[in-house]
Order: sequence, then C-alpha cells, then structure tokens
Amino acid sequence: MERSARFWRVVLLAAPVAVFSVLVIWPLFSSFYYSFTNWNGFSSDYDFVGFTNYSKVVTDKLFLNAALNTVVWMVAAILVPTLLGLGLALLIDSRVPGGTVFKSIFYLPICLSAVVVGQIWVWIYQPNWGLLNTVVSAVTGYKLSYAWLAKPDTALGAVIVAWSWQQTGLSMVIYLAGLTSISEDLLEVCEIEGASVWQRIRLVIIPLLTPATVVVIALSVINSLKGFDILYIMTGGGPFHSSDTLAMHMYNESFKKYLMGYGSAISVVLFLIALTIIRVYFRQLKRVDEIYG
Amino acid sequence: MADVAASGMPSREFNPWPATILVSLLCLAVLFLAPTAGVLLSSIKTTREIAFGQLWEMPDKLFLGNFAEILNNPAVHRYFLNTFLVTVPATAASIALGLLGGYVFSKLPFRGSDILFLIIVSGMFFPPQVILIPLFRLFNAVGLIDTLWPIIFVHTALGIPICTLLMRNFFSAVPNALREAAILEGANEWQVLARVALPLSLPAVAVLATLQFTWIWNDFLWPLILTNSDNKRTIMVGIVNLKGQYSVAWGVQGALSLIASLPTLIVFLFFQRYFIKGMTMGAVKG
Repeated sequence: MERSARFWRVVLLAAPVAVFSVLVIWPLFSSFYYSFTNWNGFSSDYDFVGFTNYSKVVTDKLFLNAALNTVVWMVAAILVPTLLGLGLALLIDSRVPGGTVFKSIFYLPICLSAVVVGQIWVWIYQPNWGLLNTVVSAVTGYKLSYAWLAKPDTALGAVIVAWSWQQTGLSMVIYLAGLTSISEDLLEVCEIEGASVWQRIRLVIIPLLTPATVVVIALSVINSLKGFDILYIMTGGGPFHSSDTLAMHMYNESFKKYLMGYGSAISVVLFLIALTIIRVYFRQLKRVDEIYG
Repeated sequence: MADVAASGMPSREFNPWPATILVSLLCLAVLFLAPTAGVLLSSIKTTREIAFGQLWEMPDKLFLGNFAEILNNPAVHRYFLNTFLVTVPATAASIALGLLGGYVFSKLPFRGSDILFLIIVSGMFFPPQVILIPLFRLFNAVGLIDTLWPIIFVHTALGIPICTLLMRNFFSAVPNALREAAILEGANEWQVLARVALPLSLPAVAVLATLQFTWIWNDFLWPLILTNSDNKRTIMVGIVNLKGQYSVAWGVQGALSLIASLPTLIVFLFFQRYFIKGMTMGAVKG
C-alpha cells in the first residue's frame, strides 16, 4: 500500500513540479546569477562584474526615484480599493433593492484588461474632450484643459485613480463574502443594546472582518507589485520619470537600454521586497487563524 | 387600504437609511459606469464628433463605421486567433497540472509535502519581472522567441500555484472514505483521480477555467516580451500596436477595446458566480 502510494506521488507530481521548477524556480535563481553579470541581451558571452550592478542600484537616482514612487503607488493602490471596497460592501449588504445589479456594476471592471482600462482612463484625462475636464468645466463654468497625465504632479495620482476603479470590485466581493459570515443575531443584539450604526460598524463589523481584510490587503499587495501594464499604457513611467515604479524601471533598463545585468539586479530587489511582504503576510495570517480559528 | 397603511405607519419612525443608501449607491454606480460608457459611446461616433467635444452626448444615430473598420482589418483577425491559440491550451494545461498537484497534496500527503505546497503557492506572490530575463534568455536560446509557444508555457507554469491551491482545497472537502472505498475495490490512484475525483471537482475546474481564461486573455507583459513580429502578437499587444495606425481615430480605438474585451465580458456575464467564487475561494481559505 505505502509503496504504491509512493509510486503514484512521483507519477502524479512529476509534471507539475517539473514545469514549475523549470519555468519559475530556476529563473528565480537565474536572476540572481545574471545580476552579477553585464549581459546585454543579445551576445552569447558576458563578464562577471561582481557587485557593480548593486552599487549602481544604490547610486542610481532613477532607481531611488522609482523606489519612492513604488512606495507611494503601493500604499495608495492598497488603501484606496480596500477602503472603497469595504464601504461598497457595507452599503450593498444592507439589503438595498437591486443589490446584485450594483454588485455586478462595481465588479465589472475587474474582467477588463489593464490595457483596456488604461486606454479608457487616458480618454477620461484627455485635456480637450476628456470626461474629467468636461465635467469640471461644466460645473465651474471655467474652461479647463489640464493635461493630467502629462504633468509630473498629477501623472502617478491619475493612474492610481484608474487602478482603484478596476480593483475596488475585487475587495468588495471579498468583504461581501466576509459579511455573510457575521451572525445576524449578534447585530440584532447590538441594535437592541442601543449601538448606533456607526458604532456597530466600527466596534463589531470591522473587527469581525479582519480575516477578509488580511486577504484583501494581501491581494492588493500582490496585484500592485505586479502593476506594470497600466502604467506602461497610461504614462510609460513619464513624464520625466514621475510615475516610474520599480517594475517599470526594470523593464526600461532591460528591454529598452538592454542592460539585462542591471535589470536583473533591480528584479532581485523587487523579489526581496515581495519576499518580505509575503513573510509578514503569512505571519499575520497565522495570527488571524489563531484568533479567529 | 388607506386606513390600514395609516394605522400601521405611526408606530414606526421614518427610517432615512434605506433611501440614503440607495441614493449613494446609485451615484457611485453612475461614477463607476461612466468610464465604460465612454468607450461604448466613442465606438459609435465619428472621430469628428469626438474631437468636437460631443463624446459624452447621447448620439442621434448609430455610427457603425468603427466596428466595420476593426472587423475588416486582417491584423485584428490574426491577433484574435493568436490569443485563442495561447489562452485555451494554457488554461487547460495549468488546470490539468493543478489537478494532479492538488490531488497529491490533499489525498497523498508525505513528509515535506506541506513545504513543497507552500513553495508552489508562494509563486503566486512574485512579480513576473523576477523571472523575465532568464526566461527571455532561455526561450531565445532554444529559438522559440517570436512564436506562441513560450507564452503558452509561461502561462501554464504561472497558473500552477492558484490551480494547485484551489484544487487542493477542493479535494480536502471530498471525504477520504470515497477514495479508500475505490482503492479497496481494486482501483489505482490514477483511476480514483480520473473516475472519482475529477467528476466531483468539475465546479472547481469551472472556477479555475474562468479565472485563468480571463487572466491569460488579458495579459500584456509576456506577449510583449516574448514576441516581436506583428503576426505573432496577441490582442492586448495588438491594441497598443494599432494605436499608431489609428492614432487620432478614437472611435476605432474604442470599438477595438470593446471587441477585444468581448470574450472576457461574455465569460464574466455567464460565469460571474464562478468568477467571484474563485476570487474568494482562492483567497479566503489559504
């Protein structure tokens, strides 16, 4: 019995483990290797350059700029969809008529691609006929033709709004799933005891939603770390690198300037950031499991 | 009737909440729909109308020239075909591999299987940039750059974490007695997997199929890196390429975006239940 189990484990796991190792694990380590070389992307030979790429990382003004933008991007790209999603979930959960329709409307953008979302929002920010300037002009009576994506002050923020529009639905459905697990009786008791709506949300519902919050934040972290497509489409990291993130910077250095060695070093830094976040996440998850079982 | 309503009412105070909530939800819904509505409107308007600031007005007549332009463009046909040729096999392959892995992790655990499972699942978290350069070099070395193959391979591999996670969680809910009974009847693991576990797991397969199809269809980074020539591009890269050709023809771009999103929109409309389930299932139970 045990011998046949061993046989089948090997047979059944062979394909998935082989594919995953060759196409995910091996490249992961390979990136470390190339980060110590000066490979240019074409030639078959390259030299080992030691820590040159890493010392370049520390002194590269564009890298530091991209790192800073990544922090801003991630904090905003996590906070805004999470809070908005929570708000929407609470509103929809209150048994309004047409709840499912609202749910679909807020959720719809998630099935659109980043390319399409990017393009939609490029139009919204279009200086002459975009929706944003049209509405502002109509409300204030003053003709506005501000180019939101072409100004360093607003480019990153404008992309964050577009990103939030797409991602909010995802956190909303997870919060809605979480809300169904909160018992009606408990909320009724709160109401009888005279807790106001706000108190109920703040002191009962939000603490009970902690497991859902952990999931929402984890997904936001994953998605925002990967957030490359939408920036590529909407700003390309510009203007003047004002919306450059690490993922964007890595792409430009590797596939525009063909500095694959340096690009690998940037990707290693990105990997280490991801690893740190994953570890924090798993620790939190364990704590939540212990508290909420 | 009026009496009944009147006698029923006074005992209850007027509750302003439902109305307030409904109104705020309606406002938010309009805000959320506006971007999509913009694309819809642009696709049925002429470039002239859009440039003159009439994009956001309701059209008096339907202009279908933009759709005709897109549907008659052979490049678009090519992009569509390529995207199907990538999405369908990669979706199927990643689910098949996840099925195998999920079955073993759930029904045949061994020493160290938890760690192996964790390693595979953590693949979900890594930014794709981390494996971009080595994979580019690998596919370049074996001469597969600028074909559809590497995109299929990469998406198959990148789908393994989520598919394994979901399948393992699904199989964990299937009673062990079922497997043991089949084994006692003389079935081997493969037969249990194919004849007992697989038919039971069809809901989970449906969930994964909708998720994977949408993600792979919508992907931009991998086809961008792994292909160069126009007749190997997928639709999302194609949209960006055609932007040059239709640089100020916004209506055509709008129609193109809509048509490119159609398969995922259809999947979304018909399988919304599965889609949401997948998002929450993969997430809530880690």
